[in-house]
Amino acid sequence: MEKVELGTVIKDWRLHAIAFILVAITEAIGQFSISVGPGVILLLPMLYAFFLGLGLYFTPLISEKNAKNAEPLIILGVTLLIAKIGVTIGPQIEAIIAAGPALLLQELGNLGTIFLALPLAVLLGFRRESIGMTHSIAREPNVGLIVNKFGFSSPEGRGVMAVYIFGTVFGAVFLGLISGLLATATPLHPLSFAMASGVGSGSMMAAASGSLIGAYPELEEQIVAFAGASNLLSLSTGLYFSIFIGLPLTEKLYSIMMRRSERKAAKGGGPHA
Amino acid sequence: MLKSVIEWTWVLAIFGVAALIGNWFGMDVLPWEAIPGMLVLIAVSLVGLMLEKALPFSMPAVGYIGILAIIISLPWFPGSDYVVAWTSQIGILALATPILAYAGISVGSNWADFRKLGFRSFLVAIAVFLGTFIGSALIAEVILRWQGII
Repeated sequence: MEKVELGTVIKDWRLHAIAFILVAITEAIGQFSISVGPGVILLLPMLYAFFLGLGLYFTPLISEKNAKNAEPLIILGVTLLIAKIGVTIGPQIEAIIAAGPALLLQELGNLGTIFLALPLAVLLGFRRESIGMTHSIAREPNVGLIVNKFGFSSPEGRGVMAVYIFGTVFGAVFLGLISGLLATATPLHPLSFAMASGVGSGSMMAAASGSLIGAYPELEEQIVAFAGASNLLSLSTGLYFSIFIGLPLTEKLYSIMMRRSERKAAKGGGPHA
Repeated sequence: MLKSVIEWTWVLAIFGVAALIGNWFGMDVLPWEAIPGMLVLIAVSLVGLMLEKALPFSMPAVGYIGILAIIISLPWFPGSDYVVAWTSQIGILALATPILAYAGISVGSNWADFRKLGFRSFLVAIAVFLGTFIGSALIAEVILRWQGII
């Protein structure tokens, strides 16, 4: 954040004028929903804003400098979002405390990443990269953890960076699309998905819970409160969760999988990709 | 510190204007009706940013901001009725849209890195995000049902 001078960011009126226009146009268009089988994909103004913004980068309207200047706006914008979520949680504090056990235990759901993605990564031929890729959703604290432990140019470091870049580019959009779809297509309750939305990134949580609100407007207050509380929990405990549970478990599972495939390779002969 | 505070205020105010525009076009809330709520949110963010700089703990600003916002909106906190009433004029999506607008613009500069990732990384990354989302939702579902909340 200190890389760009805030003073120059503030004076980048071209950037702000474009952002204001993007917001006005996309909000005026409003939301659409597309039925996909039993579920619904919600197209929200924030999604159009993201893709229009990305598209503008490739036109002369937005320069590399404008793009760099946009970064602090995201970081400080997220602080306003967190403040808004906080003031939605306060009045709901009793409901949050009542749902405390679910909130705490669903953090363990982050391990779902390891069980789903690690076998896939190994199957696709990744080796130690897969540890960096699948031990967590690779937000900044996790990149820090992996780089700290294995080094930036290690295979693990490359892996964590790959998922980090994917998350930075598409994380919010992806979660926004699948949360609306899964909540409408599966029998799980929207409030369960609200808790799942708190993955530890403000923009991803906003996109995921935003789609839920679009699909279930009558539950707005509760969705925001549950998603926000879960996000705060992920933010405050996520790194320690990775250090003590996520990363050791990933390494353990990885070595078990490698031993098995080595044994198979030894038996069946033939080099393994 | 003072220079930072002034700069933060400016950036937050610019972002606030974007959100008020979105709130107006998207939710039909006139900007002046939403201004008191926006000022509350900006004030909370500023205090959180200052606490991050001033206090020796390694807690990010959003940690302070979340806790502070929860405290001032608790039913027994004096004046919380105003905080809740004013901020309820600002939709959460109205804050999310400008974040993603700026994010889209900013992400363009990561595009070259992104294209280098390759299809296999893309698949694994999708599984990473899907895994944590579905895993958490399943556990939450079981416990919430067991508690009789849903």
